Amino acid sequence: MKLFLPIFLAVVTVALIVAGLFQTPAASADTVGITGGASLLAPKPDTPEHALTLFLGDMQRRNWRKAFGDVAQENGVDEQAMMQDWSGSNGSLRTFSGLEGFQLWPLHEADDSAQIRARLHWSTPVGPLEEVRDFHMMRDGRIWKVLFSKIEIPSTPAQVVPVTYLRWDLVTGDSRDSWGSHNVDAPRVRIISMNAVDSAEGTVIVGEVTNEDTVPAFVNVNAALIDADGKTLDEESSFDRIAHILLPKQVSPYRIDFPGILLADVKNVHIDVRPALVPASADPVIGVIDQKIEKDPQGNSVLAGELQNQSGETVNIPHVIASFYDSAGRVIWVSDGYVDRALVPLGSEPFAVEIPRSLASKVHSFHVVVNHYDLKNS
Amino acid sequence: MQFAEKTHQRAPGHGQEIIHGGPETMFTRSLISKAMTYCLWVGSLIVLFSLAAPAIGPDIAVELDISNAGPRKIETQTEGRILADYRLAWADIAQALNSNDSGPVEGIFTGAAKDWFDQTVASQRQSGITTRYSNQSHRLQAVFYAPEGDLITLHDTAQYDRQVLVDGRVILEDRGIHRYVVLMTPGADRWVIRELIEVQNF
Amino acid sequence: MSWSITTILKIRSLSGFFGATLTLALAVPVVAQELSVPQSLAAGSNTTISTSGSGAANFYLVGPGSASKASVTLGQDIHLAPDQLRYAGAYAAIVCAATCNHAEFFVTAAKPASLAFLVHPSRVPVRQPDAVSGVVLPFDNFDNLVLTPTAINIQVKGASETLFSRAIPTRNGEAWFRTSSGNTAGPVRLVATAGDLTAQRALQQVASEPCNLRIKAQPTPRGIDVETDPVRDCAGNPVSDGTIVTFTGSGPQGKISIDAPIKGDVARARMNVTGPVVLSAACGVAMGNELRIDRKQ
Repeated sequence: MKLFLPIFLAVVTVALIVAGLFQTPAASADTVGITGGASLLAPKPDTPEHALTLFLGDMQRRNWRKAFGDVAQENGVDEQAMMQDWSGSNGSLRTFSGLEGFQLWPLHEADDSAQIRARLHWSTPVGPLEEVRDFHMMRDGRIWKVLFSKIEIPSTPAQVVPVTYLRWDLVTGDSRDSWGSHNVDAPRVRIISMNAVDSAEGTVIVGEVTNEDTVPAFVNVNAALIDADGKTLDEESSFDRIAHILLPKQVSPYRIDFPGILLADVKNVHIDVRPALVPASADPVIGVIDQKIEKDPQGNSVLAGELQNQSGETVNIPHVIASFYDSAGRVIWVSDGYVDRALVPLGSEPFAVEIPRSLASKVHSFHVVVNHYDLKNS
Repeated sequence: MQFAEKTHQRAPGHGQEIIHGGPETMFTRSLISKAMTYCLWVGSLIVLFSLAAPAIGPDIAVELDISNAGPRKIETQTEGRILADYRLAWADIAQALNSNDSGPVEGIFTGAAKDWFDQTVASQRQSGITTRYSNQSHRLQAVFYAPEGDLITLHDTAQYDRQVLVDGRVILEDRGIHRYVVLMTPGADRWVIRELIEVQNF
Repeated sequence: MSWSITTILKIRSLSGFFGATLTLALAVPVVAQELSVPQSLAAGSNTTISTSGSGAANFYLVGPGSASKASVTLGQDIHLAPDQLRYAGAYAAIVCAATCNHAEFFVTAAKPASLAFLVHPSRVPVRQPDAVSGVVLPFDNFDNLVLTPTAINIQVKGASETLFSRAIPTRNGEAWFRTSSGNTAGPVRLVATAGDLTAQRALQQVASEPCNLRIKAQPTPRGIDVETDPVRDCAGNPVSDGTIVTFTGSGPQGKISIDAPIKGDVARARMNVTGPVVLSAACGVAMGNELRIDRKQ
């Protein structure tokens, strides 16, 4: 009798451990068109959704060998390329990210083929990222498999790319220097526009800032919302919705979010910019091509385009910040987005940033700035 | 709070019942508990009032006249900041010279003023001297504000009670007008004193 | 009890003696110690404080940077070392025997031994009125601010022009000046002198806003190479290398933009586009000309 409880507990523990090993990750509760739940033991993927669920679960657990077994071999995809495509390379944002969850929507299904849209939720060092991706499925006998397109790993032919752009270094001087001899002024930076916008989440301050000096500046924009009684409702900073390092005469959009504060309660906005001298380089130069506003597969308005690395160094984590103007040239919104793939030398990657539905019809023009974070500088 | 329980114990071999907690003990215990309750209430009230009451610090009055400042006009925010930082500086100076500890004036002085103040505190400590300031009032006049706003010169006509003590014995006591030429420059988060020179006349 | 006459006389003379002593003690006032101090003296001077009275006493010197104690003999002079009076300000000399007495004196700054020279800004666009300013403060060799009026000569020289040259006396310890920036980009030297003392500073005159921005473009097999003419301000100074020029192209495929830095007075970019495209450029507040190019694939 005495031993019954410990033995019972031990048995239950072992059983639960075994069950956990064979548990497939459940899809999100609001998955459409799919029966919920997951089986304890790996079943045969007898439906397209089931097959994709198993595949994404294996990819989530980085079980590459098993995931590769879920892929149809029609297009000559190899395991290494699939792994590199999924887990990222070249110090990109993807290499630091993990798949948190996913949702699936079947788009169409025939006897031997199907197409399913997946919304992938990535957890990254810069916050949650969402990716919408369409997967093609094909029947292989009695089971379904994922049909992967041949994955092209970007590569650049060997060549010499001269670096001819300027670099600025900062010399801080000796502490023994007399009073007044340390004088190197902070860069002259000016806020050239500011607009307060009401959004679903709260008040948003958007605008642009420029470096009017001849040296690079590290900038951050701070704002305080004041109510009718003169009390400060909230103070926030632009955080990463600004290109922090501005080269001479460079313009950057900025955006400061005040969640939960109604614009109607705001009487005044105090805004200031804090520039500082910083070492910087004019390299890499990143071109932004094929910029246009279009609808994404889900019907949302996005500004899409392609980033082109015109330099010889890899850009690990590109960050796109776009300002949108109305017909009067006023900044009405600022969107930003990280590209989770690195820009290899002379290579390019697509990007897309969302425009809120309520403002999409008012956008007359836009301007894109590319910020970047490099592993060697961190 | 009443101590109402009595314990009864029958001593073995004796027919007499021993009652613990008789009337006299009950009264004493009642008194003690009432006293404790009273102390608790009084203590709570003291704590509440001390939290609600404004902090009691040295009484220092400071006024600033910026009408003669130039060539740059002093901004309203700067005026407020200089007033606050100068008042804080003298409060810290008084505390430092009274306790012979430079800690309170950390960040108040820069340059040569920091050196002489540190030396003052060190030599006071060495000779057993302390200095007490009280009832301070300072009338400041801004006489120069640099074109770039990185330097301000003030004339301070100050009045205070000063006592110089050695081992607790007052060796000098005075109350008079003292005139200071003050140079202040903007620091990281406040205006700091670069020069504080007492003069006979401005 | 019987007393001998001798005893009685002794007692009377003793009591008389004590009485007289007591009377003298009460009648003659005690001589308090007094101090004689200089009215004012320069920092780092030797000086002597004379005292009156007699006996041992404690001497205290309390002032900026000083709080010392010494045993002295009243009636003798007290020597103060230069090191004790290095800081300008008010000093109190205190002597304590039975009671304490004090006297105050002032120490003023010695003659100027160095100049603090504050100049702004460190970079200034050309042709800006009243853009350069400076403040000069003389200090003695103990870092005391010299408050007596001192004549300061100030010269501001560009590469090819003198922007400012004047003698200005200090007032309240400072002398200040303001002047306009010159016409030519390059280093500017500022010199402040007071007798044998000199302080030098340098600032950089930089080009103003770009003026007359013009671009040219050439279709190539790899794209459209766009380039600016040498970018200069309205005074003809080349705009600093590293200044960003934004090249923009608009065509049926969409918009393309490249932020390219100026290098060797010229900014360049390659636009990988085909088809008709309208090219333009902007730098600061200057907008360039427009070009229409049709690059065939």
